[in-house]
Amino acid sequence: MTEEVFVCSPSIREQRFLLECAVVSNDPVAPSHYRMRLHGPEIAAAAVCGQFCMLEVSKTLQPFLRRPMCFERIHPPTFDVLYKVEGEGTRLLSQFLPGQRISVQGPLGKGFPICSGVRRHILVAGGIGVAAMPALAEELVRRFAAVPEVVLAARTRDDVINEAFFRELGCHVQCATDDGSWGHRGLATDLLEQLKPEAQDCVYACGPMPMMRAVAALTAASGAMCFVSLEAQMACGDGACLGCVVQAKEEREGERMVRVCLDGPVFDARVIDWEAQDDNDAD
Amino acid sequence: MTTTPTDLPRLEVCVGGLRMKNPVTTASGTFGYGQEYDRYFDVSCLGAVTTKSITLQPRPGNKPPRLVETPAGLLNAIGLQNVGLDAYLAEKVPFLRAKQVPIIANIYGKSADEYAELARRLEEAGAADAIEANLSCPNVHDARRARGAVLVSQDCDAVAQYTRVIRSATRLPLFVKLTPNVVDIREPALAAQESGADAVCLINTLLGMAIDPETRRPKLSNVVGGLSGPAIRPIAVKMVWDAAQVLKIPIIGMGGICRAEDAVEFLLAGATAVAVGSMSFRQPDAAVAIIRGISDYLVRHGFSDVCQIVGKVRL
Ligand SMILES: Cc1cc2nc3c(=O)[nH]c(=O)nc-3n(C[C@H](O)[C@H](O)[C@H](O)COP(=O)(O)OP(=O)(O)OC[C@H]3O[C@@H](n4cnc5c(N)ncnc54)[C@H](O)[C@@H]3O)c2cc1C
Ligand SMILES: Cc1cc2nc3c(=O)[nH]c(=O)nc-3n(C[C@H](O)[C@H](O)[C@H](O)COP(=O)(O)O)c2cc1C
Ligand code: FES
Repeated sequence: MTEEVFVCSPSIREQRFLLECAVVSNDPVAPSHYRMRLHGPEIAAAAVCGQFCMLEVSKTLQPFLRRPMCFERIHPPTFDVLYKVEGEGTRLLSQFLPGQRISVQGPLGKGFPICSGVRRHILVAGGIGVAAMPALAEELVRRFAAVPEVVLAARTRDDVINEAFFRELGCHVQCATDDGSWGHRGLATDLLEQLKPEAQDCVYACGPMPMMRAVAALTAASGAMCFVSLEAQMACGDGACLGCVVQAKEEREGERMVRVCLDGPVFDARVIDWEAQDDNDAD
Repeated sequence: MTTTPTDLPRLEVCVGGLRMKNPVTTASGTFGYGQEYDRYFDVSCLGAVTTKSITLQPRPGNKPPRLVETPAGLLNAIGLQNVGLDAYLAEKVPFLRAKQVPIIANIYGKSADEYAELARRLEEAGAADAIEANLSCPNVHDARRARGAVLVSQDCDAVAQYTRVIRSATRLPLFVKLTPNVVDIREPALAAQESGADAVCLINTLLGMAIDPETRRPKLSNVVGGLSGPAIRPIAVKMVWDAAQVLKIPIIGMGGICRAEDAVEFLLAGATAVAVGSMSFRQPDAAVAIIRGISDYLVRHGFSDVCQIVGKVRL
């Protein structure tokens, strides 16, 4: 495995679009979770797994800002976003009907690096973090004919999303729920620990901050590569406002802060200062 | 023979010596250094690009979280994170110069002398066409601001002193950007004018605060931040109008401009030019639509020159 610390994925492309995309479908997939399929050929063609887009949830100025959503699946000419209704913005999103148009800015940020020579690809998703994983799994299967290990963690059985999808893709799937109603009762990291990641493995994680911190610690101890997809409150989504920063472990070019929107959202876990991260999102 | 269509109104304005081909610039801190937005539209179509505040040394800015969305706007406490003067000159200026778009370099210093040094070095390097002195950032903790105390531009004597010192350091057009967190905006505006400013920029963000009831903690790590966006527009329009009543120098108006109609509001209130701020976050090419929309407005109302509507609110 390479010793280089990835700040960003080699998969970055510089294309950006600001387009009105047609809603193909927008259906509930679990309690308060929806999947929206959008027709956006240019965006779908340019997007890579792990990148995100900014959706204009309302034509009025309230809510004022766009909402960041990662690409769940990228199947040109369409792409999917999987979202959980958290507040007003996502509630408005859930009301879009097929045929309506929505303004999409993207693709944004740096996606997951696709490294060759990896023994096992291990995908770890907590809660809505599962939204970042299908496009990655598809890419790994397509490129390497890999059989990714997938760990899905959720509060309860009803919130386990995409399990069947990953199985059909040929992944090896394990689930954990907080209440034990499906799979292992406990944490995603319990299952990751059982998989015993090693130096030749690559772990990809997206979920609540405590989970990602634990995954980062576990992989660091084992020497496995680890890439995390982070969230932050965003305004511009594209590097201009400096609002979405998180603290890095070390200075790079005199700069301690990294921008989730432009330097991420996917980071090499070794780049992030995990001690400095708040657990505010109590997902 | 020239074939300029006579039905297209003239958009060119002159702001305190800075010629702009249209009255639209960007608000400092909402447009990066221009390059960030060139992926969405050709930034050379702007009247000018106003940069993020530049400081002598790079600044790391505040700890996250730095942003909270609020009704029709947002609170920010970025804390003037910026690359510093040297990196600005080396990395940011070449792009803007290649674009041939006028540069309004926004500067921030910890003392009048720091502002003066920034202005002098920017002029020497040919890295600015105008200087905008940010005397009004609500998000930095330095000597002048211990716990909610004074921003430079809340103190008219300080405005006068800082403006004089910067004025003596540069021949570039000097714009002074003021805070709306004052009792009477006319006082610091007049102080700037009398001390040699060529224009004033109104308004910077309004101080605000948001608390999460669940955690009982402030939503910003900095506790307080600056409010921007359409939520503040009526306040900004009134301040531009107030200041226009007493000033001889021009005003660059800003605060919640989202559409051409909003920009026209500022022009009618007395601004000679306007800056598009937070709306660029929502709509990266908002400024383009606003330039076009101002032109359409002028045509629709039979004006041939944008200057004909400056200050022409019908009372
Ligand atoms: C790069 C990126 C990719 C994302 N991808 C997805 C995705 O694929 N699917 C998905 O469901 N969500 C995703 N999110 C989170 C999503 O953007 C927020 O849940 C959404 O903006 C909330 O908007 P709202 O108006 O519904 O809620 P708000 O009213 O804005 O907030 C409601 C609650 O959600 C919390 N919240 C708001 N924004 C965020 C955020 N960015 N991160 C964590 N908590 C937040 C608030 O603190 C509040 O408690 C992503 C975020 C980022 C930064
Ligand atoms: C994220 C953010 C960063 C800002 N940074 C600066 C800055 O560095 N210097 C400055 O003078 N003003 C700064 N401002 C203030 C804006 O330039 C502008 O005065 C204010 O936001 C009002 O305009 P708006 O409502 O259109 O955004 C910032 C505003 C925002 C939202
Ligand atoms: S959201 Fe503006 S810099 Fe990241």
